[in-house]
This record gives sequence, C-alpha cells and structure tokens, in this order.
Amino acid sequence: MAKVEAGMESMLEMYIFETNTLLEQLDEILLRTEDANVFSEEDINEIFRIMHTIKGSSAMMGFENLQHLAHKGEDMFFVIREKPEIAKDAHFVYELIFEVSDLYKAEIEYIQNSGDDDYAPTDFSETFKKLEDATARLKAMESGEQATAASSAPTAQSADTNTAAPTAAADEGAMTVRVFFEDGCKMENLRAFLLLTKIKEEADVISCYPPDVESNADTAKEIVENGFVVTFKGFDNNNDAVIKAIEGAVNVQSYEIIDTPAAQPKQEEKPAEAPAPAAPAQTAAQVQPTAQPAAPAPAAAAQPAQAQPAEENKPAQAKEKSAVAKAQEDIKKANGGQKQSLISVNLSKLDQLHDIVGEIITTESMVIANPDLEGLELESFSKAARQLRKLTDELQDTVMSIRMVPLAGVFQKMGRIVRDMKIKLGKDAELILEGEGTGVDKSIVDNLNDPLMHLVRNCMDHGIESSTAERKALGKPEKAYVKLSAKHSSGEVIITVSDDGAGINCEKVLAKAAKSGLLAKPENEYTKKEIQNMILLPGFSTNEQVTEYSGRGVGMDVVKQNIEQVGGTLTVESEEGHGTSFIIKIPLTLAIVEGMKLQVGATIFTIPISSIKESLMVNDNQILHDTKQGEMIMIRGVCYPILRLHEKFRMPTKITNLEDGILLLVDVGGKNVCLFADRLIGEQPVVVKPFPKYLSQYNIKAEGLSGCTVMGDGTISLIIDVNNLISTN
Amino acid sequence: MAAENFNEKLQALLNSQMEMELAKKDVSNKELTKVLTFYIGDQVYGIEIPYVIEIIGVPPITVVPGVPDYIKGIINVRSKIVPVVNIRSRFGKEEIEFNDRTCIIIISTGDVSVGVIVDSVADVISVTENHVSKTPELNNVNTSKFIKYILEMDDGIKLVLDVSKLIDEHARDEAAQ
Repeated sequence: MAKVEAGMESMLEMYIFETNTLLEQLDEILLRTEDANVFSEEDINEIFRIMHTIKGSSAMMGFENLQHLAHKGEDMFFVIREKPEIAKDAHFVYELIFEVSDLYKAEIEYIQNSGDDDYAPTDFSETFKKLEDATARLKAMESGEQATAASSAPTAQSADTNTAAPTAAADEGAMTVRVFFEDGCKMENLRAFLLLTKIKEEADVISCYPPDVESNADTAKEIVENGFVVTFKGFDNNNDAVIKAIEGAVNVQSYEIIDTPAAQPKQEEKPAEAPAPAAPAQTAAQVQPTAQPAAPAPAAAAQPAQAQPAEENKPAQAKEKSAVAKAQEDIKKANGGQKQSLISVNLSKLDQLHDIVGEIITTESMVIANPDLEGLELESFSKAARQLRKLTDELQDTVMSIRMVPLAGVFQKMGRIVRDMKIKLGKDAELILEGEGTGVDKSIVDNLNDPLMHLVRNCMDHGIESSTAERKALGKPEKAYVKLSAKHSSGEVIITVSDDGAGINCEKVLAKAAKSGLLAKPENEYTKKEIQNMILLPGFSTNEQVTEYSGRGVGMDVVKQNIEQVGGTLTVESEEGHGTSFIIKIPLTLAIVEGMKLQVGATIFTIPISSIKESLMVNDNQILHDTKQGEMIMIRGVCYPILRLHEKFRMPTKITNLEDGILLLVDVGGKNVCLFADRLIGEQPVVVKPFPKYLSQYNIKAEGLSGCTVMGDGTISLIIDVNNLISTN
Repeated sequence: MAAENFNEKLQALLNSQMEMELAKKDVSNKELTKVLTFYIGDQVYGIEIPYVIEIIGVPPITVVPGVPDYIKGIINVRSKIVPVVNIRSRFGKEEIEFNDRTCIIIISTGDVSVGVIVDSVADVISVTENHVSKTPELNNVNTSKFIKYILEMDDGIKLVLDVSKLIDEHARDEAAQ
C-alpha cells in the first residue's frame, strides 16, 4: 500500500513537522496541567485545538488510524471539558494521553522511515479501547457529580457555548451562503472543512450542509453537485468580512448568497441545525440532560426535534448573549490574537544562504585587498569599502541568528522524562529550567537531545536519593530538583544539568574504577576532579542494579562522545551530599571554525585551533625511536608520538627533516599527538564546507579530514579532523 | 495546493509526451541534441550539452588523500567545490602534462558536479538520428562502459560519453573489475 495518495507526497513532510510540533505542545500543556492538577478552560481548548488539527490533517493525508486515535482522544476531553473538576487527580487520563502522544510519535516516525510500499498502518484498537473505557469512566464520574450539582448546571453550561455555536443568537443577522469549489480540485469535503475553519475566525457558524464534511469523504460528491451551504453570523454583525474570507479562500470558484439578514425565513428547510465545531459525534453530549437551555446539539442531525432550539432558547437569551460575547472573545484570543509571525524554512536553504554569505565575505576581502589597488590613493573607494564591510558584517550576524534556535524545545522534552521517571522510581523531583531562551545553532540543538536525555535520566536515577525519608534525614527539602540551565559565554554555550542529590562518592568511584581496571596510575595520585570525571569513562557504572533507565555502563561515555562530536566538552563537578553538575560547553555554531593554517608540500591544511596545545621546533636529539621505527618526542618529561602529515596524506614535500619543519602538539579527548608539518601560515576563521558529493563514496573522513574551506585567494584548504586522524593512526 | 501542482505536472507530462510523438514523425533530420566534442589524444569524444555546465582552464587543484588516482583533487569554481577527474587515467590511458589547451569541462547530473580534464575542446555539433549508430560490443571494458552511442559524422567518428555512468560509482566498480 502506498503511504499517501499521489500528489500528497509534498505535503507529507509538512504534515510530519506540524504534527510533531503539535504533539510537543500537547506534552507541554499536559505536564503543566498535571502539575497544577487542574485543567483551565484555556488549556482544554488548546488541547482540543491540537487534537482537532491532528485529526483533520491526518484525515487529509489519509492516515485513518491516526485520525481515529485523535478522535477518541477528543471524545475523552469532551467529557473533561464539560466538567474540568473531574479530571482532578485522575492520573489515568494523563497516563493515557501521554501514551497516545507516544503512539503518535512512534507512528509518525514509522511513516517517515518506512518505504512507500512497506508501510502498514499500526492497529491502535487496544488504545481505542482504553480511551473508550476512560471516557466511560469519566462520564460515570461526571453524571455522578451532576446529580448532586444539578443546580449549578446552567453556570457550567455557559462555558460550553465557548465552542458550541450559540444557536440562540443565530436568528438575527444570520446569512446563508452556498459555495462551489473549482472543478476537479479533489477532496471537496476537506476544502469545505478548511473554509469552515476560516469562516469561524470571522463569524459564528450556525449550520452547514453537509454537516460532517471533515470525517465523511462521501460528502465530497454532494458538495460538487449541490455546493457547500453554510449559515453564519459575523462577529459584530459584520458579514462582509466573512464574504471576503470566502472570496479569498483557496479553490473557491463561486458562491451565492441564499439568505441575507433581511430575508431569512428559509431555515426550516435545512435538514439540521448541527452546530459545526469540533467532532461531529461527541458522544458525551448525549449524556446531557436535554433540559439544559443551550445544549450544543451535535446529535441534532439524528434528532430533528432539537433542530430548532430557537424557541427553547428565548428565555435564556439574555444570559446567552453575554456568553456569546465571551465566547467570541475567547475565539479571538485563540485565533486572531496571535497572528502567525513565524515561517518554517527548509534547513538546506538556510545552509545555502549561510554558504553564500560566507562567500560574499571572502569575495569582499578579495576585492578590497586586491593587489591591483596597491599603492593607489582611493579615498571614496575606501569609504565605500568600509560601508560594505559594515553591511556584510550585519548580514553575517543576521544569518547566524536565523540558524539559532532556542534550547527551550529540547529542555521542555526533558520535563516528560522527569515526570515519567518520577512515577516509575517513586522519587519526588521537579525540573527547573533556566535560560531556555538561549539560542544555539540548529545543527547543534539536534545533537543535544540524546546527551541531555541521558544526563537527566542519570540525575534522576543515580543522583537523587532513593527516598524522601533519606533526604529528610539529611536535612534537604523533600522535593529534589533537576536543573537545566543554559547561558552564553564568549562564543560558547554552557549547559548545566545539575541535581541536589547525593553527589559523587569519590571512594566508591575509585574502588569501582580499580575493579574495572580503569586506573592508569596509583590511586593516591588522582585528584578529586579526575576521580569525578572517571564516571565518564567507557564501561563505568557504580549503580549495582541495572534498571530500565540506566546502569549498563554505557551511556556516560556515549554522552561524552556525542558532545565531542559537535565540538563540545563535558565535565563533572560534584559535592558529595549536595549534588552533581554536568557541564557541557559547546561552540555556538559548527559552520565557522577558528583555524590554524599549515603547509605540507603544496597543500594548505587547516586545524581547528581548539585542538592545538602548542607548536614547537625541535632538535634531532629530542627525538626518540621505538622498536617499530616510530618517532616520539619528549616534551617536559612526557613522551608523545610524532605523526608526519606528509606521510599520512601521501603529499610530496621537500621538508622531511624534523628539524626543518614544525611540530604541533594536538590534544583531543585526552589523546595527544605531535603533528609534523612544513610550516605554519597563520590563524584564520574558516567556513567549513563538506566535500563534494561525488567524493562521498570514498572514506575521506576516515583519513582524518572533516571538510574543506575556500580561502581568501580562492584556493582550497583541507580541514583536519584531529580526532579521526589520531584514531585511524 | 498539492492537487494543483499535481495537475500542472500531469499537464507538463502530457505536453512533453505529445512533443515526443511529434518528434518521432520526422526523426531522421530533426536535431536530437547538441554535443560538445573534445580530444583525448587523436580520438574525439563528446558529451551531450545538457550535462555541460561550463568549460574552464585548469586552476590550482587541491589534492585529496584517500581517493583513486584518476580523481586529481578538488577545485574552486566560483565558490563551489568541485572534484576533478582526469579522463585519461579514467580510461586507463597515460596522463600527459597540462598545457594551454588543457581544459576542465564541468558536467553535472542534477546534484552531483564533476570536472573532467580533457586534452582540448573541439566543437559543439548538432546530432540527428542519421548520425547515431549503436554501441558495438567492444571488449575494451575500460572505455566502452562509458560510451552512450557513437556518431558517424563526415569528419570522422565521435564517441559520446554516458555522463551518468561516468559519475555513477557502480559503473566505476564494474570498470575496475
């Protein structure tokens, strides 16, 4: 089965992106409400909006299983919306919705990764069942409460009108329009649904026919033949705005106004007065006593008796009016208040832009420092050149800032982990976020997720004491914390993951390290800091038990590796009994590297300055030879191997005598090597470019080269990746 | 929206098919394509013009370690980094010193660009169906793998190279075997 209909492939990426964003929002709201233990009206509406959008877009993409999942979730929240109080302490609701959210994420990942033909929709019937059960349970709770609180029903009801269209006010100033879509534009029902959503921004939709456009694909035919009929009443009686919205809608071919406020008695002919919003068959609505004045009547289609609520409503009209006004306010808040000022851009386009800006800057210096201009008095030229430099600097800053994304997204995901582990491990802890607005290059943010997850899990599992009693005995507050903080500091971002738990027991660590054979020198020579950082070594775990979350002795070293991959460092600071901090330092951006240029034969190499410890000229008598003719050098009593770059890269050069060239002592992750080059040229910030695609079939990276860069004079320099260079040697 | 795009694409497809139908009717003297011809030694080779981006002189080439000998390195073509292949060693011929006539033809198949070092560029010729003869089953694996078709022109035989095979790694591996 093909994943998506032909012609929809281009939408898939957008769908995946959008749904993932919505799911993250959902998680965030749920975490917040669970903490507060109460659903505010705003939260519920937001959850509804998210569920509904997911449902609609899933239906449009043809993912029926996902559509139903969202629908069932909506059902459950419908009950909660009726009576937010019942969700208090109802932890099963949260569990379930988190589960749904996880299922969604998994399914979307599956859709993303599976090929066109091997995709088979996952069966969610088990979850459906659970959701139905939960809905029933909530309903039972609700009706139980309702019996006792019958008198308060009308007030509770006024909240409902929020999304249910206020039918009472419908009669005055309502307008009915029949809309036809362009021939052959496909999926007319969904287009109608989109139109409906748009109209809702401008007006109260009183009814529409066919009523169930978003869930019933068969209505498409009906719409093609008879058009899509919608009755609405513009906010502040401004029906013109709605007409404008209809005119501006996509694929609308024509529309006719059937009913205007002046002449309107046609309503009885319409089959149903189904208030349009949200799910068509929200089951919970049926439980409501019909005596409630403004019952949103989704079941109306089936029960024509409810179809003309106008009479019933009259006594309540005054009350209703104020509710309507409030509802409109809320809707405006939700829709109009936050006009979209964000666009999503494909990252590759930003990369391209970034590249071009890099080029402009290099070209600029080629022009301004052109040898042809040497010795000339060019007053206005230099003035213009200065102006240009200023502008290009600004351009570069702007482009860099576009690629910066706040860490908030990654940080907030950790909230979920803390919550899950809190429940599983029975520990009481909260997550504190600090400086989550700090911006980091997008490519780095993507690589931070896993390491941070590991660290937070580690803090929860190993760091925080296993019981509150233990904490109490130590005089600490019962509630532990895990703190994530981020800040900028001179071209670096410093991210700290800290807890106020037990801290690192140095003796234990040392004993464990000795047991695992990880010690390289006598025990008493290790400093506290060295010992603490031992927990980052591969194969180290002091936790006796392997738990679901950690303890396998892999993890911390992987975290370290991941962070080093993006050019960062990881260190540990701990105070026994007071807590542990993991400090991550990463560069702001990967694309620009402060480099040292060096020459080997005819080739210019660039080494990131951060990995260079020192450079030195040597005498032959400092050189030692090992049994395999390997060369080594003794610097301040420490022996380092020498790696001749011209041999390593097979570059012919005249300088093969160690005394004539220069040695660079480089350090990556504790490994030290001396590189031998012809000469140093100088420092320069370089824009890292990947090797051309054609060369990707050869393993150049393994040779110890990470990319290349174009220098000021137009020649290319190869960038050395010291880490790979050492490990392949 | 998606559906619109789809319709547009379909329309374009239909149009191009119609054009092809029309083209078939009077094949013989209709121009098939244009071919850029170049010399390697005495032999004339060609590359179809749509693949050719530009022709440049030989700039300084930065050698890249860890690649086959026929990949000479990378060059900077107006801020794009392009790998260069010496077609002589690619075809198992002896390399010669670069001179004033040595050129690099930059060819591209969509996302991959490669520079090809040739002895000298000759001409751009129009090719019609009449000129094309099929590739004979040659035993010389090194070159015949890369030949798309052979042109018999008044002034001699020209071998038109198959650019996708020239760039594609599988062809390379097969050729190596």
